[in-house]
Amino acid sequence: MIIDPISIALITLGGVLIGLGVHFIPVGGAPAAMAQATGVGTGTVQLAAGAGLTGLISAGFMYNFLATAPGGFGTSDFILVLASGAVGSMIMITVTMFIGQLVYVYCVGVPPVSAKVDKDPITGDRQDIYVSQGTEGHGVPTVSFVSGTIGGLFGGLGGSLIYVQLMQIGNAPADPAIVALAAIFATGVFYVNSVLASYNIGGTIEGFHDPKFKRVPKAILSCLIASLLCAIIAVPIMGGVS
Amino acid sequence: MIDPITGLGIVALMGALATIAGAAEDLESDVGSQSNPNSQVQLAAQMDFPHRIFNKAISGEPPAYGLWCATGATVASVLLAQNMSVIFAIAIGSLAGAILLGLFSVTAHMGRTASQKRFKQPVYMDMVIGHVPPIIAHGFIAVFCIVSFSYIMNTILLHPFPLPLLALLWGITAGAIGSSTGDVHYGAEREFQNQPFGSGLNAAQSGNIVRKAESGLRNGMDNVWACAKFGGPVTGLALGGTVFFDNWRSTVFSGMNAVIAGLIIVLILILANRLVEVKARKAYGPYKDEEGGAEPA
Repeated sequence: MIIDPISIALITLGGVLIGLGVHFIPVGGAPAAMAQATGVGTGTVQLAAGAGLTGLISAGFMYNFLATAPGGFGTSDFILVLASGAVGSMIMITVTMFIGQLVYVYCVGVPPVSAKVDKDPITGDRQDIYVSQGTEGHGVPTVSFVSGTIGGLFGGLGGSLIYVQLMQIGNAPADPAIVALAAIFATGVFYVNSVLASYNIGGTIEGFHDPKFKRVPKAILSCLIASLLCAIIAVPIMGGVS
Repeated sequence: MIDPITGLGIVALMGALATIAGAAEDLESDVGSQSNPNSQVQLAAQMDFPHRIFNKAISGEPPAYGLWCATGATVASVLLAQNMSVIFAIAIGSLAGAILLGLFSVTAHMGRTASQKRFKQPVYMDMVIGHVPPIIAHGFIAVFCIVSFSYIMNTILLHPFPLPLLALLWGITAGAIGSSTGDVHYGAEREFQNQPFGSGLNAAQSGNIVRKAESGLRNGMDNVWACAKFGGPVTGLALGGTVFFDNWRSTVFSGMNAVIAGLIIVLILILANRLVEVKARKAYGPYKDEEGGAEPA
């Protein structure tokens, strides 16, 4: 019995990309919901999953369109589906961060600011003097916004990669049972990796400029192991055993 | 394949449904106090501030809304398989999801409040009777709209995911958006109107939530009344925007052009965010002087 090694490798890579993507997304958890910390005011897993699953819906759409078209499903189609998933995820995360920003600025009345750096690495704006007393920053400054967009890119890419690979193993793009199984499994792997990454982050992270971002290698290793286990279970279920 | 004009109309309808769903989702979480801002409601009693605000954090909003929407869509799918009319099937399915939300609200509120007996936080029965129907009503609107646009996506746009799965995924996304946008209005502004506007919320004030209303003691109804003026509508815009932009690009363009169109939307939003940031920094100014010392006059 041989389990398809390329599928295992690609699904594991998808899981690692999700774990990496979560670290880029600026989340402040409950403190950010009270404008006491920089980032979006929700949990790491919640926002990453919301973005990644929107990407999965986009990828599912594109895969169905390309795989059922005459001419088969080639490498360029594979890339197109991944790109579609990544962009779907990026749209969700940027719309959410932008509207969240409007709430911080026009409703709470605080400027977007990072408490982890003195100057925004992208715009060069001074940050420390804009932090209100007794808080760890508030809102989504440009550096966090760009970081969140990159997080959406990786998350959407990883989720779509897992979905497409499972669909390729299932080899029945029009069968609703195969589609549902692949999508639910992709969702499951998404949650496994975002929860793991969330433990590594420990509640709040501002983006790639945050000192906590240096913990990424640990997350990559743990996501690699967890995703490998998920892949070993998923591939035979979808029929990838010869 | 549907023609582009009809396709755009369908996408616009989905965006409108998502906008209503987002607003109702956020307002439901304000009546019942769910998600991150509820940590302050929970903390208030422990900090010796007993209150009359509904306290139900069933779970994070995304998994909760995933559950209500998947329940609604599953019931609707079964009824549709029995040849029931679409509107009735979705309405009955959504009602099932909303009733489930109501049941969880009662148990979550009573369980949480009863566990605070040692902090002398009473369980007000009139609050349970008064708050649960609006929670179910807002939840019904949100679930109905999410299941409806998932149905349109599945049946008319021919998305391959089955209806309950699409509703589950969109429910999770709706919860994530509501928790990230509108809840900040409730958590950072409405709960702490006893602090000067724009001062930022000092962590030392945690738990010191506003307990008096415009008239009488404040409860979840007073909160939803205020949040319906900003937090709810912008949450609707966020979910509506996500659904509309994501489907618009794949309806108008195809292949790599749809990806490029999506990237342009993302770029525009990054620039718009920068404009808002610059405007806010100019309007509010720094909290300290340039040397990082005392507050400027």
